[in-house]
Parts: sequence; structure tokens; C-alpha cells
Amino acid sequence: MGRNPNCSPKVVSRCLSQMEEDGLSVDDLFNRCVFRQDERDMLLKAIRIIKPEYQPRLNMHTSKCSSLLVQDFYSERADHIYPKLDFTQEDLQERFKRQLSVEQACTITIDSVEAAKPVTENMAKMRELLAEQRIQWQKILLQALRESKMILAKSNTRDYRLNLYPYLCLLEDKEYVDIMIQSVANLPPSGESLKILARDLGNRVFTKYCVRQKHQNQTVEKLGSVYNAYTDLLAKDTKVYDVLPREQWWKLEMEQSSGPTLQGGETSWPYIVTLELGTYMVDMMVKNLKINSDILNPAYDRKFIPILYHMYTFRSTRQVGFIKPHPILTQMQQEAMETKLTFDSYVMPMLCPPVPWTSVKFGAYLLTPTKLMRTVDGATQHEELLEKCQNLHAIYDSLNQLGNCAWKVNKPLLDIIISIFNDRGSDKLDIPPPLSEAPKIPHFNPQDHSYTASEKAHMKRQVINAKKKCSEMHSLRMDALYKLSIANHMRDEIFWFPHNMDFRGRTYPCPPYFNHLGSDVTRAILVFAEGKLLGPKGLDWLKIHLVNLTGLKKRSSLQGRLEYANTIMEDILDSADNPLNGRKWWMNADEPWQALACCMEIANAVRSPDPAQFISHFPVHQDGSCNGLQHYAALGRDVIGATSVNLMPCDVPQDVYSGVAQQVEELRARDAESGLKIAQVLEGFISRKVVKQTVMTVVYGVTRYGGRLQIEKRLKEIDEFPKEFVWDASHYLVRQVFNALKEMFTGTREIQDWLTESARLISKSGHTVQWVTPLGLPIIQPYHRTRNQVLKSTMQHINLKISHDTKERPDTVKQKNAFPPNFIHSLDSTHMMLTSLHCYSSGLTFVSVHDCFWTHALTVDTMNKVCREQFVALHSQPILQELSNFLLHKYCTGVLTEAKSKKYQEYRRLMMLLAKVPQTGDFDLQRVKESTFFFS
Amino acid sequence: MSTQICRVVELLLRSACCHTVRGQSCLSKAVWTPVGPSSLCASGVSVLQRRAYSLDSLSLGPGRPSLGPNSQQPRSERTSPSSALAHRNLSAVAVQGQCRPLCQYDFLDLGEVEENVRRAQACKKIRHFIVDPDLANLVAQHLGPDLQDAKTVIFECNPGPGVLTRTLLNAGAQRVVALEGDRSFLHDLQELEGRLDGQLEVVHCDYFKLDPIGLGNVKPPAMFTDKLFTDLGISESAWTDDIPVKVVGILPQRNERGMLLKMVYALFERLSVYRYGRIELNLFISEKEYLKLVTRPGEMMYYRAFGVLWQMACEIELLHKVPWESFVVSSKQGVPSSKGKLPNDHLCLVRLRPRADLFSAGLTPSNASTLLMMIKQCLAKRKVKLIDRLNLWSPDSGSKLLSEMGMSEDILTGHVFPEEYLRLFQLMDKSQEFTQSWLYEEILENTQREGWG
Repeated sequence: MGRNPNCSPKVVSRCLSQMEEDGLSVDDLFNRCVFRQDERDMLLKAIRIIKPEYQPRLNMHTSKCSSLLVQDFYSERADHIYPKLDFTQEDLQERFKRQLSVEQACTITIDSVEAAKPVTENMAKMRELLAEQRIQWQKILLQALRESKMILAKSNTRDYRLNLYPYLCLLEDKEYVDIMIQSVANLPPSGESLKILARDLGNRVFTKYCVRQKHQNQTVEKLGSVYNAYTDLLAKDTKVYDVLPREQWWKLEMEQSSGPTLQGGETSWPYIVTLELGTYMVDMMVKNLKINSDILNPAYDRKFIPILYHMYTFRSTRQVGFIKPHPILTQMQQEAMETKLTFDSYVMPMLCPPVPWTSVKFGAYLLTPTKLMRTVDGATQHEELLEKCQNLHAIYDSLNQLGNCAWKVNKPLLDIIISIFNDRGSDKLDIPPPLSEAPKIPHFNPQDHSYTASEKAHMKRQVINAKKKCSEMHSLRMDALYKLSIANHMRDEIFWFPHNMDFRGRTYPCPPYFNHLGSDVTRAILVFAEGKLLGPKGLDWLKIHLVNLTGLKKRSSLQGRLEYANTIMEDILDSADNPLNGRKWWMNADEPWQALACCMEIANAVRSPDPAQFISHFPVHQDGSCNGLQHYAALGRDVIGATSVNLMPCDVPQDVYSGVAQQVEELRARDAESGLKIAQVLEGFISRKVVKQTVMTVVYGVTRYGGRLQIEKRLKEIDEFPKEFVWDASHYLVRQVFNALKEMFTGTREIQDWLTESARLISKSGHTVQWVTPLGLPIIQPYHRTRNQVLKSTMQHINLKISHDTKERPDTVKQKNAFPPNFIHSLDSTHMMLTSLHCYSSGLTFVSVHDCFWTHALTVDTMNKVCREQFVALHSQPILQELSNFLLHKYCTGVLTEAKSKKYQEYRRLMMLLAKVPQTGDFDLQRVKESTFFFS
Repeated sequence: MSTQICRVVELLLRSACCHTVRGQSCLSKAVWTPVGPSSLCASGVSVLQRRAYSLDSLSLGPGRPSLGPNSQQPRSERTSPSSALAHRNLSAVAVQGQCRPLCQYDFLDLGEVEENVRRAQACKKIRHFIVDPDLANLVAQHLGPDLQDAKTVIFECNPGPGVLTRTLLNAGAQRVVALEGDRSFLHDLQELEGRLDGQLEVVHCDYFKLDPIGLGNVKPPAMFTDKLFTDLGISESAWTDDIPVKVVGILPQRNERGMLLKMVYALFERLSVYRYGRIELNLFISEKEYLKLVTRPGEMMYYRAFGVLWQMACEIELLHKVPWESFVVSSKQGVPSSKGKLPNDHLCLVRLRPRADLFSAGLTPSNASTLLMMIKQCLAKRKVKLIDRLNLWSPDSGSKLLSEMGMSEDILTGHVFPEEYLRLFQLMDKSQEFTQSWLYEEILENTQREGWG
């Protein structure tokens, strides 16, 4: 009606009155609908034909945050100092444009760090060959795609099967082909399962399509203008705001309400469609991509052979469809050592601050669709729950806070790492060696009769092991190559990691390879882009941090660690000055690369005229000591437990692992005395290290099975331990570790049991376990009985085992086993988010790796204070009582009449159990605020 | 009713001849004889019916007629293998040095059915048991006349209460090795072993857990084949020699297919028990799995690598079909629910006798892994052209091979007979082109049976 210049007012008014009859308000149209292009303006125009004065009233989403925990945070902002980024507005707007162009391209091609190697004749030849082939393949695929589209277009549309034709028309033909060629280049030599390959291809098409959509809807222009205005909040050369990024973005969007809606345009495709599209493309590749068999060795007969083949591998009784590259292709790719790597654009960190999360569907990257919550492929229950949820402000704000931290590359360290990487790698320093360092695959001819059967069997096993080793090495090497190449590409940039979270609220940076959550190597090459003075205590914190990274002095006070650092200053300076040729003190640290980076920072600081004035970019970490147990101990107010995980102030840190080891040792000594063989064998072998991993993971639900494997690994590392006893000893030890924990953490045990049993009964009653974190994040456990769905493509039937379908009954075992760890994770994520919010309002830089918090040396003390206060605030809430209330309300409000029936009995049992919140002990929570070693 | 009568007679007899007996249960044997075949049958049936598993003559199925009319007459059976038996029992007595009068019917007593049923059901793992003496007889019959041959070794898998064990010994078996995986049955079996003169050896071992794949300590009932065979003093024999060991037992219902696959892989590569020669299996397997095992080309749904490999490797003979109800199960769920399209009302006693000429024309244990991979790759889909598969492994070689085989170009993989696959492999293995093929690489990568051989 708006588009028609002479639309009769009658039509419009009839329409409006009909809407009124149906209870639809005009304002709702503007508030709830998603508009494309100029749809909104046209709607407004139509309405104004009747009501010329009409202005849509937009609700500002100012509803108060429901959670008591953050009420003050939002209402009392007088003393908040939100940090500014160290950029001018113009600079930020420039960065936005660059990021936009990267995302518009969807892929990005960067130099590999291996490019630095000299080009040999063979390499040059291979590169040339590959380039020629690629042009060929492109042509062939383009033709094949066009032909098959023609066939699909003509095929019977009444067929019950999905016709993929529309999905093949979303992009330019050439774009599909590029996506396919890219996946050939990235195929590992050992192949990839069809399902994964197909999923990746399908996802790429979807991402590309979304980006195109945004173009066509003119969303990009609007995004640009909102973002430009938004930079006003972040830049250093503008006025100080007292609003959060999310609030500002909302306001701006309201102000610029004409044009397309930014929020939530796209809905993701069903998993099965993505897969089917992908399979279709794989099929096309397998059928059409060929190469001459004599391309490398002219001695062979010339045949035109496929470069990819579809075959099966067999895992016990299952067969898994695999796509493998022909050895010729693999050889060419390996020898060419191509200098370019092509990635999807979201793999790269962002060049401008991420778009703040303002709704479930909008945030993070500029154009690339991103989920607020990571889920299993195809699971939708989380998203549904989130969309129903009115107030996730605190969640959005903390994700935005984490994403707004600017980073840069620690160049000296990157150069050292690349030099080792391009040389021969180093297993000790966790730099994966190149394949040329791999064990040679022994060659033997099975027909050779000079070997006995057992010798042949032995050789065969050697070949298998060598191959396995090679493929492991290859995947490690590629992973490192990607990380280092991305880092190298970013070496002179300042960049950001947009964040999202998993279904328990734990936050993660979106770029998959290179981020601060990675290994020691990647963490070491990242520093804050913003520098801050060290201040009076900063240097001390750097030194303490260094000692923490070495893994030494775990039981010393902070003063003790500092003194230790001062005694080894010579080693530290030597490491910084001669990292590879000196005494190499840093190489023996637990986290050698971060230790080296820290050595260098200390060296620079002490050599500066006034260390207190030294500008440091270095992140200092504070680790929760066995964070899971800390939360349990706080929940149960368990005095002994709380003391052993440092909730109670002590002079020296309590070490729960040593405590458990000691307890286990006592149990062992008793058993040894009573003549138990294995207990005798184990004499002198029980140490902190043996039990550490198991203790750490017990709270996260490790089973005896998993625990045994962990302990087995530790025992195997001890050379003196007799190998023949490893199995029995690990069995015995895991039992004792569990017993020791049970004795030490009685309160923990009770809570864990209550959670487990509750989940079991809830699941038995046919429901999935759901709860809400103290910050209001709704959580649902996606574990259901497996349903098989078969995707019948021409190439192969793919059997999808879907275990997240809410229509299936819940998987009781998983629901119950996973509930305690998931619940604890939801608490630790809440604690992290609270800390993040309050750090933001205090103006300091903060990032987290789950239970490890990072900030500048200058602000460590402030962060520690916030962290403790928020822990106390969180646990001052009646968390378990609220959980119990929520569960009762959720699962026990129905009325069952038949008092005698079995169902009723079960219902009553559930109700009684849920109502029976475990008793708490006498621990005074406020003591946490004084505890130095709570996070240290 | 008839049971009660039986008991009365039993009591009477007990008082009459108590000095001859080994135990209470022996009496029931004494009872059976005088009462004669007909009443024996009646009482047996009634006992069994009360337990909800019947063994009436009809349910014995197709295998039964071969048994002859006297199959239900233990008496006539017992009397036939005369001298050897008498001898055995004599020596048993001599060894034990017990003073005991000889008796014409001095056979190993099978025990009371009810007691055996109780013991079987007390087993903690889900297992099927042969408790019914008639069923045990039937199995013994099928193991053939060479039972009494001193060279034949019989491995009885998981005998449980030992009904079949005793039946085999009664039938004159000269060397029975009882491999029992469940400790609770061991004691009685060992006691029996002690009373005999070497005809029975009892080992704490689960045949179906031989040569475990994973890591870790191998403790009984898991065991390595070489240990078992060395302990028993059985040495390796050539593939073409006579069958050194006959295995008899019930294939555990859990993971039937996986077990059969594991065994056939071992057979082709001559690992595990097959290192010691052509081990013959006489196994009860579910009807469903049996039907899959013997599926012929053209039945695209069920013609799979699994069946092809077994058919290639063995002469497969269905000896007998027995309804599930005839076995005692140590779990509530006796009869498996048959979800599939194949009937599954019986357990089938199947003989899998490895072909003596399997390794005579080009196939060797070392190239067999390639054959396995080839068959599995071919039959992952049955409705594809064989020529396409062949060309995938070695480009352009398909039509040449097919013409050598005398096959049409458009034959589907699901239409090729097991023998033909073997011949095809032999041709491929000879040709230079194929040895360069990735097919040969593939096997090595996918051999996940490192614990073997």
C-alpha cells in the first residue's frame, strides 16, 4: 500500500480496523517484525495515509534486570568508569571498513609462515603443476555444476525428496566452485569422513548466502552508519558515556529506525539440508575432478584418474564413508608447500571491535552469522529457550566486555617460534616438527618368503604405527601452521576476538585456531594492545606470574615466590637475552613459551629507567585453585573443603592435590601392611602429579574409567615404575583417589549426590533437566536417546545419530552424570561474568580462560578484589534453594490424582528429593575476601 | 502327575540300591531305565513344560529326522558305544581307587534337570545353556562318529552345569576341553575332571574372549590362544591336515556379528586359533544371523561382506534348528525380540568347517588382509557396478579383469558369488597394476587388530 502512489485510504483503514479486531497493534508491527530493504519505510508511509501524525512508539528494552546480583550494577552507575579504547573515532571507522571488506569476501588468503623457506626447483615445479590443474578443475566443475543444475531444474518437483535446485541458485556458480576447490586444498592426506566434509561445504554456502543477503537487503549500509555512530562510545577522543555498549547500540538502532532491520534476518538451515547440499557438492567433486596419472612419474601409463575417491573405513561393525585424496594429489600438495592459505573469514580475529550482542541473533561479527550459544549441530532447544528469555542483558554485556579487549602479537616471541617451526620443530617445546622429521614408514613386501609369519605381523604393526604417527604429526603440524600463519598475518595489527558461549554459559572466543584460549604457544604470542604503567607493584606481579608459569614454588606465599624470582634474576635475564643459545632456563618451565615472554617483559621493565613508569602490555594471570571444588565448598559452606581449596585465608597456599596424595598414601600404607601386593609395589610412587589431573576432573564428572586412564598415563611416565603393574596400580589408585576425595569433601559429595539423584528422577519422569543461572541464563541439557536419521544421497546413505532431539525421551545416564559438572560450570561462568562486568565498570582490562582471569600488572589487585567480592556475592545467594524452587516449580506443579499408582509414587519421590536441599556447614563466606590464594 | 510318580519310584529305588550310587542324582538315572522310553519322555516333557520350554518332537525342527527314531532313547544310545565306554569307566574307577561295584549303566550322570536349571539361571551374565539331556544328545550326535577318535579334540565353550560335557563323554569322546568363563561353574567341572582319567580338561577361559584386542592385563577368562594351546599341548598343524579341534558352544548373543567378524578375519589371516590349523566351529547362532551368513548373491539387503567371507572360507552346514525356548537363559528376557524382517525363532546349530583348499591358489595369510578390504569395499553397496569399483582401484583395469573372469561388464557387486570374488582377487593379486593401488595401502591403515597373532 505504501508503494502504490494512489492507494485508497479506504483500503488502509480497512486493513487497520481488521488488525484492531484481531488484537494486533500497529506499534507491534514495528517492534516485532523483521524488515528488509525499505519495507519499514513503506509500512510507515501506508499508515501515514490515514494517520499523518503517526510515530511508532518503540519500547526501549529498558526492562530492569531481574537478577538481584546485578541490580546495583545497572541502577547505580555514578562511580562507574567504563574503559575507552586507545583509538580515535576515525581510526575505528577505518578499521570497520577493513573488517567489512574481509567479511564480504567470506574467505581470506594469507601467506603461510612456511613461505619464508627458500623455493626449490621441485617446489616451483609442483606449484606450477597445481596451479594449472586448479584452473582445469575450476572449468570442469563449473561445467558440471551447470549441467547438473539443468537436470535438477527439469526434474520432477513432485518427488517426495528434497530438490536441491533452489539451494544451488543462491550464489553465483563460480562461488560454489571456489568453495569446492578450497575444500580440496584443505583435505588432509588421510582423508575426511563424508559427513564432516559435507557439513563444512554446506555451512560455507550458508555463510556466503547470509552475507549476500545482507548486501541485497541494504543491511550493510545501515550497519555501517550505526557502527560509525557507535564508535563514539568507544573512541578515546570523544565524550565519556555512562552507558554500556549494548545500550548504546540499541539506542542508535532506535534512532536510525528507517531502513532494514539489523536484527535476526537469517534463520539457519536444518542440519539435514546443509548436509544434503554438501554431499551433493562432494559427489560432484568426486565424479569430476581428475588428473593424469603420469603427472609425477612419466613411467606410469597415462590414465585420467580421479583425485578424490569415496571409500569406506570400518570401525568395528560400522562402516564410515570417507573421501580420500589420491596419493598423487597428496604428494603434489606436500611437495609444493604452497605459500598461501585460504581460510573462511571468521577464522581471523576481527580488525575492529565486534558488534555488541544486543539480541540472541545479533552480535559478534559484522556479517558472518554467529550463534550466541554454541550447540551440537542441529540442536535448536537452546535457541528457543533463549529467545523466550526476556532479560539476558548481563550475559550480553559480559560477552561484549570480553570481546572489546584489543590484542596484538608479541612479535619477538612469534619470530622465535616461527624460526623453530620452520627449522625442525621441537616436541619438547610443543612446536610440531615437519613431516620430514617423521619416522620413515618401513617398506616390506608381504610376498617375501624370507620372513616368518610373526616377523611379518611385527613389520605390519610397525607400518601401522608409523602411519598413525605420520597422520597425527600432520594434523598437529597443520594446526600449528594455521595458528602461526594467522598470527604472522596479524603481526602489525590490532585485533579483537568476538565471544560467544556454550550451553552452560562458559565463554569462548569465536575464531577457532588463533585465540587466547589456545596452547602455551598461542597464549605466549598474544599481548594486550593497550599498555599500562606497571605502577608500584606491577613488576612484583610480573615476577610472581613468572614463578607461577614455571610450576615451581606452588606452596610458597606470594612473598616467597617473589623472593625466589629475585634469586634467579640472572637466569631470567639470560633467558630473555639468549633464548635459544643461553642457559635455556625457561625451557624447563611448565609453560615455557609464556615463561619466556614473561622473562622478556621483566628484562625490559628492570632495564627501563623507572620500572614503575614502564608501559606494559603483558597479561598477568590469576588462577582459581581447583575452581570446581571451590564452588562446591562454597555451596556447602564446608569448612574443611573450603580450607583445602583456599577459600579460607592462610599464610601459604593450600594444595588440594598434595592433600589428596597424602590421604591416598595413608590408605596405601594401610593396605600394604595388610599384605596387598599392588599397594606394596606402589610404595614411593604416589605423588601430587600422579593424582592431580584426576582430582581436578572429578568435579567435572570424570568417571573411574577416565580417571584410571589419566593415572595410567602418569604412571607410564615414571621410568622406574615397573610397567607390568601399571594396569593394576592405576585401577587401585583411582579407587583410592575417589575414596580420599569422599573423605575430604563430605559436603561436596552430598551436593553432588543430590544433583545426580535429582537429575535421575527428573529424567526418569520424562523431562530434560533445565535450570537458570543466578544471572538469568536458561540452561537445558541436550541429552536424549539416540534417533537414527538416514540421509539418502546418491553417493551414500549417511546415518545421523541424533541425540539431541527433544521429542525423544531423555538419556537418563547422561542427564544424571552430566548435571553436577554442568551445574558447577554454569556457576563458574556466572562468577566469571560478574567479575567481567565489575571489572568493566572499574575501567580495567579483563579477559578470562574459564577459571583463569587476565589483566594488566597494574590492575591485578583491583581485579583480585572484584573477583573475591563477586564470588562472595554469588554464593550469598541461596543458590541451591533457588535451584530447588525452580525445579519444583518446573517439574512438580502438575496434579496427579491416582494416589496409588506407580507414577504417583515416583512423582512424590521426586518432589521430596527436590525439596530436600542439602544441609550446609559453618564456613563463613566473607572470609574469601581476605584469602590471598583464592585466585592466585 | 508323572513327575510325582517318578519321584515315588525314585524313592523306592533309592532304598533298594543305595550302595551302588555316586550321588542322589544317579538314582534318577536308575529310575529312567526301568520305566522305559515312553514314560521317560512323558516325565521329561512335563518337567520341561513347567519351565516353559518344550522339546516336543515337532519343535525339534528339520534336523531331527536324521537322528533316527531312537533319538529320544538314551538307553539305546548308551548301549551302543560299548567297549570303549566300559573301558573308560573302568579306568576312572581304577584311578580314583574307589571301591565300587561295576554297573552296566555306570555313565556320567547328567544331574537332575531342575537342579541344572537352577544353577544355570543363577549365572550372573546373560547366557544360554543346554540343560535338556535330549538337546545335549542331539548336539553330541552331530559332532559326528569321529567323536571317539582319540585324535579329535573337542573344545566345549562355556559348558555351565556340564550337561553337554557329560553327554559328550558318555558318547565316548576321548578328549573334551571344557572352556568355562564363569568361575561359579568351575568347581563342579573340575571335580568331574578329577574323577576321570584325562578325558576331560577344564580351563578357566572364555573361548569368545580369546586374544582380546585392547590393552591391559589379560586375566582369565580372557586368554591368548598360544597360551591355551601350549598348555593343552596342541601344536600347530598344516592347513590341509585333518581338523585338529572341534569347537562346540553357543555364540553369546551380545555382539554376535562382531564376534563372527573377528573370527573370520582371524581365519583369513590365520591368526588366533587358526594358527593351529583348520579349527571347526559347531556353534549355536541366532537364526537371523545364520540367515545373513548364508545369504546368496542377489539378495541385496543381506548379501554382505560378513556372509561372503564366511562362505568363501568355510563349508557351512546347518545341523539343526532348535527353538529358543529349549535353552535355559540366565535372564528374564529369554526370547529375543525380532525387530527385523528375518525370522528369528530358533538358535541354529551351524557347522563352519574351513576349506582345506582355501590357501592353495594364490591366497596367503599375508595378502588376505587385502582380500578382506576388497570384499568390504565391494559390498558396502551392493547395487553398484563391479567394474566401477575395480576401476577405482586401478584405472581401466576393470573390463580386462571382468573378461578374464568371463563376467558381463554391468554385473553388480551384489551379484558376484563368493567363489568368484576369491578368483577375482587372485587375478588382481597377480597383476602388477593392482599392487600399486591404494587398496593395498588401505588395509594396513585399517587393521585395528593389533592384539592379534
